[in-house]
Amino acid sequence: MGLDIPVFQAYRGTSAPRFASLAELECAKVLDYYGVPWLYEPRTFVLEEDEDGRVTEAFTPDFYLPEQDLYVELTVMKQSLVTRKNRKLRKLRERYPDVRIKLFYKRDLERLAQHFRLDLAS
Amino acid sequence: MRELGDEIARDYEGREPLLVGSLKASLVFISDLSRATPILHGLDFVELAGYGSAQMGGHEQIRVLKDLDADIRDRDVIVVEDVVDTGLTLNYLVRTFELREPRSVAAVTLLDRPYRRLVADLPVRYVGFVVPDELFVGYGFDLHEQWRNLPDLHVLREI
Repeated sequence: MGLDIPVFQAYRGTSAPRFASLAELECAKVLDYYGVPWLYEPRTFVLEEDEDGRVTEAFTPDFYLPEQDLYVELTVMKQSLVTRKNRKLRKLRERYPDVRIKLFYKRDLERLAQHFRLDLAS
Repeated sequence: MRELGDEIARDYEGREPLLVGSLKASLVFISDLSRATPILHGLDFVELAGYGSAQMGGHEQIRVLKDLDADIRDRDVIVVEDVVDTGLTLNYLVRTFELREPRSVAAVTLLDRPYRRLVADLPVRYVGFVVPDELFVGYGFDLHEQWRNLPDLHVLREI
């Protein structure tokens, strides 16, 4: 995806982030603008394994804010289509009860876009 | 408003706190809050360039458009916000003010959306209303700089 990636100041990762959507890029830019340290997809959580220990289901949240010890997952899907993601999040919370994660739905992102005057159209 | 003012007055009696309004949306709220706070207190304002106004020129760091006039060293500072949402703006203000060694920093907000918070441990000590995920205009709140002047707070149903 041909996103124009700026030089980030508050990014704490080692390799350049490769965003999957414009919403992720805009979220990164907002965090950076306000000087909140962030990482992009730094950890994959195993949710299910088969009998041989092979991973059958996993979840990689979009962002991690180290100072807040908070993972953030964005979803641009309609609320009605996020059931699968909600189920993953529920599993993650059951398996990793100490992990703090927040899901931002399409509606939340639209509100943020209004607040920060973002263009999330594409 | 009276409840918020009384609570602040009770907590800061004899300390002459400085109410710091974060422009522009908190302007109406701080005006009413100041008049409803029956103790000696100072007023000052700060304005940050919103993210949206900076992005047109490419990626930038946050910029202070108007800094405090007052020296806040050893003073009790109360940041007055229209709404605390992600907490990014308030977090920036609190961190900036704390570098200036005030006696304390707290915050009062008219509206709060704690469920959207990205920054924890903010000193939001006084909250007018915890509100649902709605867009508000009036009473200082705008949409594209319009409707700030409506005397009451309105929920905008459609844009």
